[in-house]
Amino acid sequence: MIELFAIAEYPGPPLPALAPLRAVRAGSLAAICAPAEGVKVTPEALWRHEQVVEALMEDRDLLPVRYGTLVDDDAAAVRAVDARRDELSAALDRVRGAVELSVRAVGDPEDGDGEAAGGRGYLRTKMRSAAAQESVTLSLHKPLAALARADMRRSPRPPSELLRAAYLVDRDAIGAFTRLVARLDDRHPGLQLLCTGPWPPYSFAEA
Amino acid sequence: MSRKILHGPDDLEPFAGELPHLTDALSRRINTDQEGLERGLAQLVLTIVELLRQLMERQALRRIDGGALSEEQVERLGSTFMELDKRMEQLRHEFGLEEEDLNLNLGPLGNLL
Amino acid sequence: MTSILERDVALIDVVDRLLGGGVVIAGDITLAVADVDLVYVSLRALITSVATAEEKQLLPRMGSAV
Repeated sequence: MIELFAIAEYPGPPLPALAPLRAVRAGSLAAICAPAEGVKVTPEALWRHEQVVEALMEDRDLLPVRYGTLVDDDAAAVRAVDARRDELSAALDRVRGAVELSVRAVGDPEDGDGEAAGGRGYLRTKMRSAAAQESVTLSLHKPLAALARADMRRSPRPPSELLRAAYLVDRDAIGAFTRLVARLDDRHPGLQLLCTGPWPPYSFAEA
Repeated sequence: MSRKILHGPDDLEPFAGELPHLTDALSRRINTDQEGLERGLAQLVLTIVELLRQLMERQALRRIDGGALSEEQVERLGSTFMELDKRMEQLRHEFGLEEEDLNLNLGPLGNLL
Repeated sequence: MTSILERDVALIDVVDRLLGGGVVIAGDITLAVADVDLVYVSLRALITSVATAEEKQLLPRMGSAV
């Protein structure tokens, strides 16, 4: 069995040496893979996999594949790529020359300050967090999205996370984006922002 | 290994909240055939249930906002939703599903929930 | 050099991406519930096209519930 790491264009530059990688050709695309060694879902295994994809990303545009994707053999890899060729090509065009940056924002969860317990309290908390969400969308997400080619919000993790999003940013706009994150952080003393990356475009690989 | 943090506070603790629980959740991810299939189906069903629950909650919040309900009605609605929320948590727990598992990522439209 | 906490915090982002993102391909995916993702991929394509059709005023808007 072989494990898929990424979809890229064929032909491409030489593959990095840090894993026994091969580029299996499927027309003008390639499925970059290595012999499967069993899928472990541990932090170490995830980081190792990520290292490989990032090494690939250093000198080519690619669509990272979901972790743990195994196929029987090269022929199966080719069939899988062929089945979604047009979408994959389009997605590759969309991410060309860009990386993914992650932004999370946390704020203090609103205190009860004497609110009713029970049913009313439950609903009031919901209303408060809905309001906080909307405000964060306007004040953080919109300006960040304006600097990005594309954006994707994930569900923030209650109670204190207000934003969890991914932004597809041109490689040469990373600096400007990071500076904007810093400015927004300063502008909102009640919030804390975390920006990580660059990541391969996982959140923009599917339509 | 390269640094991944481009901007962040000096104290990263606020962003580490879900960690202890993450490694735990990770180990549950490996498919064990039948179990995986059941969990997959449960995930689909519970996602839809969760969608409905959230839609109803939002509707209720809008009506409360509009001042259309009495104190008593608000209290009863709130308690019902609170119960529903707890039940959903129990169900999720039974199938080893996290909140994020009950979601559809709609690409440019963001997440369903 | 990155501190342990930095790595751990970034791990959250790694998990979101590696397990919740990336191309979903019909393969012998060994991650739990991954087969279900294939249904999601199709559902998403359907919902996205409906939303686009609504935006272009080709379809009446969905009800006010959402």
